[in-house]
Amino acid sequence: MKSNKKYWKGLEELKSSSDFVEKNKNEFAEEIPLEDVLSEGGLNSVTPRRDFLKALGFGLGAVSLAACQTAPIRKSIPYLIKPEEITPGVANYYVSSFHGQSILVKTREGRPIKIEANPAGLFENTGTDAVTQAAVLDLYDVSKLKGPVLNKAEVTWDNMDLYVKGELNKLQASGKKIRLVSATVTSPSTKAVIADFITQFPNTMHVQVDAVSYSGVLQANAASFGKAVLPRYRFDRADVIVSVAADFLGTWIAGEEYSRQYVGNRNSKSLKKGKMSRHIQFETGMSMTGTNADSRIPVKPSEQGPAIIALYNEVTGSTLSGAEGLSANAVANTAIKLAAKELVQARGRALVVCGSNDVSMQTLVNAINSSLGSYGTTIDLDNPHLNYAGNDAVFASFISEMNRGEVGAVFLLNTNPAYSYFNARAFTDALSKVPLRVSFSDREDETASLCNVLAPNSNFLESWGDESAVDGYYTVVQPTINPVFNTRQAEQSLLAWSSNSQKNYYQYVKSYWEKNILPTAGKSWKQLLQTGFAYTGEKPAGTYVFSASLPAIAQTIVTQSKTLAKDIEIHLYQSMSMRDGRYANNAFLQELPDPVSKVTWDNYAAVAPKYAEEQGWSEFDKIEIKGANGHSITLPVLLQPGQARGTISIAVGYGREKPGQIGKVGENAYPFATSTNGSIRFFNTATVTKTGEKYELAQTQTHHSYEGRDIVRETSFASYVKDPHSGTGKHAGGHHEYDLWPEHKKIGHNWVMAIDLNACTGCGACIVACNVENNIPVVGRDEVRNRREMHWLRIDRYYSFKEGEKSVTEEKEIEKLENMDDISVVHQPMLCQHCDHAPCETVCPVIATMHSSDGLNHMAYNRCVGTRYCANNCPYKVRRFNWFNYWNDSRFDNYLNNEFTQLLLNPDVTTRSRGVMEKCSMCIQRIQAGRLKAKLEKRPLVDGEIQMACQQACSANAIIFGDLNDPNSAVSNELRNERTYYVLEEINTQPGVGYQTKVRNVVEA
Amino acid sequence: MSAHNESILREPLITGTNITYSKITDDVLVPVENKPNMAWWIGFGIALTLALTWVVAISYTFWVGLGVWGLNKTVGWAWDITGFVWWVGIGHAGTLISAVLLLFRQNWRNSINRSAEAMTIFAVICAATYIIAHMGRPWLAYWVFPLPNQFGSLWVNFNSPLIWDVFAISTYFSVSLVFWYTGLLPDIATIRDRASGFRRKVYSILSFGWAGSVKNWQRFESVSLILAGISTPLVLSVHTIVSMDFATSLEPGWHTTIFPPYFVAGAIFSGFAMVQTLLLIARKVMKWENYITMFHIESMNIVIIVTGSIVGVAYLTELFVAWYSGVEYEQYAFLNRISGPYWWAYWSMMTCNVISPQLFWFKKIRTSIWASWVLSIVVNIGMWFERFVIIVTSLHRDYLPSSWAMFYPTPIDILLFVGSIGVFFTLFLLFLRVLPGIAMAEVKLLLKTSSDQAKQKLIREGTIDAEQAEYYQQSLEKFDSVSKSDYAKT
Repeated sequence: MKSNKKYWKGLEELKSSSDFVEKNKNEFAEEIPLEDVLSEGGLNSVTPRRDFLKALGFGLGAVSLAACQTAPIRKSIPYLIKPEEITPGVANYYVSSFHGQSILVKTREGRPIKIEANPAGLFENTGTDAVTQAAVLDLYDVSKLKGPVLNKAEVTWDNMDLYVKGELNKLQASGKKIRLVSATVTSPSTKAVIADFITQFPNTMHVQVDAVSYSGVLQANAASFGKAVLPRYRFDRADVIVSVAADFLGTWIAGEEYSRQYVGNRNSKSLKKGKMSRHIQFETGMSMTGTNADSRIPVKPSEQGPAIIALYNEVTGSTLSGAEGLSANAVANTAIKLAAKELVQARGRALVVCGSNDVSMQTLVNAINSSLGSYGTTIDLDNPHLNYAGNDAVFASFISEMNRGEVGAVFLLNTNPAYSYFNARAFTDALSKVPLRVSFSDREDETASLCNVLAPNSNFLESWGDESAVDGYYTVVQPTINPVFNTRQAEQSLLAWSSNSQKNYYQYVKSYWEKNILPTAGKSWKQLLQTGFAYTGEKPAGTYVFSASLPAIAQTIVTQSKTLAKDIEIHLYQSMSMRDGRYANNAFLQELPDPVSKVTWDNYAAVAPKYAEEQGWSEFDKIEIKGANGHSITLPVLLQPGQARGTISIAVGYGREKPGQIGKVGENAYPFATSTNGSIRFFNTATVTKTGEKYELAQTQTHHSYEGRDIVRETSFASYVKDPHSGTGKHAGGHHEYDLWPEHKKIGHNWVMAIDLNACTGCGACIVACNVENNIPVVGRDEVRNRREMHWLRIDRYYSFKEGEKSVTEEKEIEKLENMDDISVVHQPMLCQHCDHAPCETVCPVIATMHSSDGLNHMAYNRCVGTRYCANNCPYKVRRFNWFNYWNDSRFDNYLNNEFTQLLLNPDVTTRSRGVMEKCSMCIQRIQAGRLKAKLEKRPLVDGEIQMACQQACSANAIIFGDLNDPNSAVSNELRNERTYYVLEEINTQPGVGYQTKVRNVVEA
Repeated sequence: MSAHNESILREPLITGTNITYSKITDDVLVPVENKPNMAWWIGFGIALTLALTWVVAISYTFWVGLGVWGLNKTVGWAWDITGFVWWVGIGHAGTLISAVLLLFRQNWRNSINRSAEAMTIFAVICAATYIIAHMGRPWLAYWVFPLPNQFGSLWVNFNSPLIWDVFAISTYFSVSLVFWYTGLLPDIATIRDRASGFRRKVYSILSFGWAGSVKNWQRFESVSLILAGISTPLVLSVHTIVSMDFATSLEPGWHTTIFPPYFVAGAIFSGFAMVQTLLLIARKVMKWENYITMFHIESMNIVIIVTGSIVGVAYLTELFVAWYSGVEYEQYAFLNRISGPYWWAYWSMMTCNVISPQLFWFKKIRTSIWASWVLSIVVNIGMWFERFVIIVTSLHRDYLPSSWAMFYPTPIDILLFVGSIGVFFTLFLLFLRVLPGIAMAEVKLLLKTSSDQAKQKLIREGTIDAEQAEYYQQSLEKFDSVSKSDYAKT
């Protein structure tokens, strides 16, 4: 129905007069005097006050709006299609493997930023070493090759494949030899790839060589027991451990595993059971292992052989000749007798290890262990370590092959003999006679730069693969990121060059596992990728009896010792951070202080203080050391208490020529090594001249005694057994605490930490873990010299000396000591103590540092104006000031000043600008993440759920973090321990970090 | 102040014959009303060069970061806070002279208070630059003030001695400035009255319309007295609070209750030494020997010996208490001062502050201009070392031996300190050019009673006991501004 109603807006419309109709035709009913305004008259007219104000208002508004500067534009590309597994802000963890042990790789938004031990891994895989912690930095190292290089020109992988294949086919036809040289390969799949390669090119041989070789041990075991293996030592089963120059907690075979075993017999749990192992160390230089020994006796390299002979004689009651070589060292002589007595008493629970790579010495040590009944108990030959299989003799004959011109192609994988071989010249000369030289090195290092084909291998974090460092224990390597640079896995290259039917190495690994390992282990591939490893089970450890003739062996030892016993004896060792030199370009490791000397960024000539005095050398004097083989280097002197007199210890792994941007530090000591009886030995003799120059080493600690202060508290095991409180300084009245300000109420949580000084070996993994977790800048050698390293966590190392019955800890008295050989060492991790009465908090003028309700001492970087009063007032000196913009200043170009390495930064932790104080935050980002997780899951936090970075990295479990408000938490338990004390508790700072006394299992007179 | 005759036994505060009010004005205003002489230009040139060095050094520090100084993880303060405390200490004499001595009616202050106060203000400025400069993020220095803000309304930490410091120093600076300026009013008016043209205009504004009326003078006197009353506690409070920066901390060697009196005495000690350093030159160059007489010099030397001895006793007390406390950290801190790696700093301090001022017990030395000047410099060197010793030797070896470290200054540290001396002298030399270096009005007050000519007149009038007159005449012997021959006949 049509409506005929009419609506009207006004009377005009109703009337619909003609002029209304006329007007309504236009958009604006009333005419706008635009023309008038814009005409000359309009423009000349006087502006009315209102218009003026309007214009002014508009103008001002417009101008101020235009003046508002937009924030700098940072382009970020959101996920167009978000990968299912990535939630920005939430970390993903992948299992992988490094150095044969299962690890967890933390990735954020697709980039790996941290490595942790996979706690499910075997052999109590509770922590990692410093090298593993730092390894993630190598992924982003800009010094690496950015792509394949052929005859100094960048090429594509396809072109390289064509070239190499062509060359290989030519060689195949000519019948020349092909040699694949690598460090020990533990990967079953890689071994299979190599085997396939050999099938394709039958004139190929795989030569394994380790920069620091164990071929002496392998040969000795082959000779003694017919098994060329590195045995699995069981320090956990040993009550008495005698080590002759084996740094078994650090760099010897499997330091992390041994540390866990060793500490398990010495930590607070073991002490509670009234049990503590006894450890006697005979060694030349002061190793980290030596610092942990209950008794440590310095012996020269030339005395190590006689010492073992003497020990054999004492243990078995035989009379091998040669023990008299030790007669000059009366202390060692007595100590050997006592050690033998203790070993014999602990038969079946005793272990003797020797760090030498000499077949004869290792054979004799086998004899001692055999007579102590160690095989099958403390030494397991049936589940051996597979991580060092290099054979020095094979490598030497490979060099002759090259010299004879028989070798047509060399493939170099994970090895750098041009740097690390003792006679590098012989190697490089020989190598130049090989027409096809292929390097898989990730950078153009000393060896790679001599090669014509550079096929850069991917980092392990970009790779598929596997490892098996212990017999039966297989770990999988899975990639966590696409290759950062245009690199390709070496295995992939080998597959391509040998025209393998399987082109894809991932498929290759998978099918290898599905065929060979997974069925035995009872896991699926998927389960493997989730758990990280497969174990085919431990074989029963058999007992072995040594039954070879010894006099000839003893004679060899004596002859070798005599050649060493002249001039000054040099002892070469691996440092905890540089190891064999392959980590030289890792800034975290360069700045990690040596556990003993606290030196960063250099190697040095460690000399006993008294001996240096006799020779007229003082600290930091540069001396020229000329080896018997003619090699000579100039190094600064470091006075190292505990060093055997008449010896110099030098770390290998330094003096790299082409390590990359930052790693060219120190001097190369490898050439001092000698080849004796087919194995490389790290000893030599040398003459020394003082150059008259000085060179200041960058040390993070320059005062080495604790001045008898109560900060380190120790006791003997005997006293501990009598009274567990002994040495803690606790007295009947207890400790009175007074409050000047209102007490902090800790409702909810009260985060505290317990550190067991008897568990800490001083290795420094916690320091690197803290650096990586908290984006702590590496400041470089000069800034360390200026005493400005930024480490939030440090390990204080103090020496004390025994003079008769008296313990000497004060510098002034130490200077007067005649004999500085009887040395005790303590490692004390020191970090922000999160004091309840924090001296830093009261003095900050702007409240930039304050206490949280859960017992933490917070640092608000944004609020800090940088008066440094807090650092001055901190009795623990754990606060660190940003003197410069370290992470973004080209003068501190250690690692962070490029777009690649900045990918390593933990996005949960802000980088600190110049002028701001920082310090340990108790990994507050981890606490927060843990709390949020529990909150989301609507459950209370579980003890142990939140772990500090340092704690997580500590293999020895020396650091325990948790909630003191929970009486059942692990940390509450530890802090209730009788051994607990607080550093500087007498000044009423009420620290949140408790320490447990250092207990030494010394023989009480 | 009063028209009565002063005892003849008191030494004159103004020497010279034929001194009139106008002569005082003429003498004092010589540098203000004339073109500067060569000596001034040379001095100013050197000072300005150093001041520019300071500008360069501080700009470099701000641009690059505090790492250009020699500080490290253990020694967080060194030359910066040493310089700060040193300058604040120097700034102490001014207020003491102008306020405390005023309240105690020590009329001899009248000749020296103006320069001393100016010195105070410039020294506090120098000290303030260090407060800003030592901050890691100096552009946020205003955060130390309790200003309303929008950072979630963040407040300052009233528990922190640094905040007390901020208040103490700023109060001290503003009160000193007001006191100084109030005292200047009659003198500025004098300059105004003698000037012409543009200068007259400027001084006219600066004089706040001073007319010299009785009411003006009456108010002037009461304001002076009130300000003196306000300033007197400040003399004690400023350095007390500065000392609390250290005393309230936990550091062995800092944590001590003796600090407030010890610091105040030390501050007066160094302040008077600086006044001595400046005025001995000024009186010579400006020919003000009649107004700043040997009596002034000797009086200041006596103050120096008294405060120096207090400081010396404080040093010994510290040592005793460290031993008596039985606290190993405390004992070590002091043992380390005496015999540690910075032993030379400690013994420089001891020599300069405790031993050398004792030379002033000899009248010959304390009335010798050269000896006074040299020793005044020695005292200021010693006082610099005192602060260095307290700050650096305490910090560099405190509780945990693992963190023990040495401090070595960088060239920037040195330039900044030397530069701050340049800034100070630049300001002081400019001050001498534009404002009277002696409080004319206050000196004129003494002319009729305490001047030598007034006393000679009394003697000539014969109303004075001959023995006392003789004593008076003998006391004039040390005055370098009084020539013996003038009174030979008496």
